[in-house]
Amino acid sequence: MANLNIDSIKERTFDAIVIGSGMSGGWAAKELTEKGLKTLVLERGKEVNHIKDYPTTSMFPWEFEHRGEILSDIKKENPIISRCYAFREESEHFFVKDTEHPYIQDKPFDWIRGYQTGGKSLLWARQVQRWSDLDFEGPARDGFAVDWPIRYADLAPWYSYVEKFVGVSGNKDGLSNLPDGEFLPPMELTAVERYFKDFVGGNYSGRDVIIGRCAHITGNYEYYAKQGRGLCQHRNLCVRGCPFGGYFSSNASTLPWAANTGNLTMQNNAVVHSIIYDEQKQKATGVMVIDALTKEVSEYHAPIIFLNASALNTNLILLNSKSNRFPEGLGNDNGLLGKYVAFHNYRAGISGEYEGLGEYGTSGKRPNGGYIPRFRNLHKQETNFLRGYAAGFSGNRAIETDRSGIGAELQNQLLNPKYGTWRVGSHMMGETIPKEDGQVSLDQNQTDEWEMPLLKVSVDYDQNDEDMIKDYLEQMTEMFEAAGFKNIRTRDDKRAPGLDIHEMGGVRMGHDPKTSLLNKWNQLHACKNVYVTDGACMTSTSTQNPSLTYMALAARAVDHAVKNH
Amino acid sequence: MDRRLALKQLALFTGGLMAFPSCDFSRENVLAAYEKLQVTEAQKNLLAKVVETILPGGDIVGAKELDMQDFVLVMANDCLTEEDQSRFVKGLKNFDQYIQKNFGSSFGKMDQEAAERSFMAIVDTEDGDGEVEELKYFLNTTKRFTLQGYLSSEYFMTEIMPYKMIPGGFEGQVKIDPTKKINING
Repeated sequence: MANLNIDSIKERTFDAIVIGSGMSGGWAAKELTEKGLKTLVLERGKEVNHIKDYPTTSMFPWEFEHRGEILSDIKKENPIISRCYAFREESEHFFVKDTEHPYIQDKPFDWIRGYQTGGKSLLWARQVQRWSDLDFEGPARDGFAVDWPIRYADLAPWYSYVEKFVGVSGNKDGLSNLPDGEFLPPMELTAVERYFKDFVGGNYSGRDVIIGRCAHITGNYEYYAKQGRGLCQHRNLCVRGCPFGGYFSSNASTLPWAANTGNLTMQNNAVVHSIIYDEQKQKATGVMVIDALTKEVSEYHAPIIFLNASALNTNLILLNSKSNRFPEGLGNDNGLLGKYVAFHNYRAGISGEYEGLGEYGTSGKRPNGGYIPRFRNLHKQETNFLRGYAAGFSGNRAIETDRSGIGAELQNQLLNPKYGTWRVGSHMMGETIPKEDGQVSLDQNQTDEWEMPLLKVSVDYDQNDEDMIKDYLEQMTEMFEAAGFKNIRTRDDKRAPGLDIHEMGGVRMGHDPKTSLLNKWNQLHACKNVYVTDGACMTSTSTQNPSLTYMALAARAVDHAVKNH
Repeated sequence: MDRRLALKQLALFTGGLMAFPSCDFSRENVLAAYEKLQVTEAQKNLLAKVVETILPGGDIVGAKELDMQDFVLVMANDCLTEEDQSRFVKGLKNFDQYIQKNFGSSFGKMDQEAAERSFMAIVDTEDGDGEVEELKYFLNTTKRFTLQGYLSSEYFMTEIMPYKMIPGGFEGQVKIDPTKKINING
């Protein structure tokens, strides 16, 4: 018996444990295994292997029984996930349905989740813009949250390191507010986007329109062939999983790479209950795991633990990791765990038409769009609100099919579509200010099927967000009008926070253990062998899509962990 | 053995005296494939005629031949809300009666021109009563689904306007050749 126990403990002991296999967990796994550490990756959801488990990836439009639409019964039972733009017949198997994993909304919050190997890295919008010091210095300059313990110089080499491996298509634009990276050839702007770029560049100092920097392989294919990935084929069906590995996901890239080292143990259906803290050793020694299918509980051990369960679930796990030393959750000496949760404000948008450039159209498809980097309050405070917004900007030539009438006339119309005007559109991506009352906590009574406490989410917009929406709409309307766009329509869809799928914070980084949870290496101040490198670690939100920064932080933190443990 | 047939035989053996709640012969043709709609084969045939009226074919294959009546029912059954489903089904069930009363012939017997005229007369009615509103909803919904299914059918997306799953690239500014037919899937 004794030997059996020792064997069992040996089998359950690794050099490192990574909780979560998504965007940042995949990176932690790749880096740890490459450096020779036997690494266990715990994924709470089902197994999704690259290509093999993308059931819809090669289906033609007519092969979908409902042509992409979600059934009305599913929508009725799952109103939250049904609001997500990417939740479609082709992709619904990659999203968590409301009914499967309930949570409590103290205030409306659309929590979009992907419980499977690769997490939401299968489903993301693939935009990867770097932060600059204008972002990292924001809280200190403007007096909110706490100062970031890192600056651009700390992260720049790691941005480069990640970009090279991921494959980032982009243009070297030379902008101080949006540093250039290691770019593969950029995708093209459309004719009307080029027109607007020139117009804005010529008429508004400090404002730019660029092609988005996106995690798609557009060159150097021999390098990516080593990952088993190929050039992006512009199918624009990314959300199904890409059979070419044309865009970056954990499934296509970091996880198979980690597996190839021989050091990876991947375990699916592993719901992490808590991180185990040893009071004698004064560090974490492992994790307690509930099997999602059998509900059996087991423990795994490792001297290094990476927590990458996605921003809010990382908060949940830490809050649930209670011990005598940490009765309010692991590392939570200051009571700030779960607080200062923020997100990106995506509420507003604008559309219009351009009657010029009638002789031009586009050809093919582009899984990318134009991008307007933040121009408000960049170098000093200029407006009645703090910080600012970036914006998407895209323009396409409309092709119109007259669907009026019926019979032979209608048939003739279907066969003879006509070019319409160019249609332009933009949406805002606003920085929100993390506040103490923007928080998540554990419900004291209600638990889920695995007896995990339900997460209570209490996050909301504030007056700063409202003022920013107003300014975005005013500025964009003025720019659209000045550029000669017609039929301009603005919108504020009043969406709940969360639908941006950029929730961040709760376990923020900072200099001081009294006011933050993590140090500059993403270690818990009070339990240094636990690293948090997903969205939970974010001190402020900036405006850029955050995944690239999570990946860079994860790679940097592993480098630190391996050198120091 | 088929369940419905078994019930019929059972009813015969017992002299038809057994009162099975589910043994309603007036509904024996209810199509199981569209469970929520409770439509009969006859109603599906009528829908096929509506679909044919919308896109009759000729130089191109018509909507009925592509079985768009099935697609319309699948979408109505699976993707409409309960409330809209009920309007759709009421419209479908009252359609022929209304046509006979107001146009003097059953819809199924009309030629294409008469069918088109009665279809358009209903959808163009303004300030119609509740029944007409349901018929309008039924016809407009049928047209919407017919076009959706037709334009994304294998036939249309391979033979008429070929769809390329793998375009391979993207060009943002291409001079349009006005003599070239536009392919919405190109």
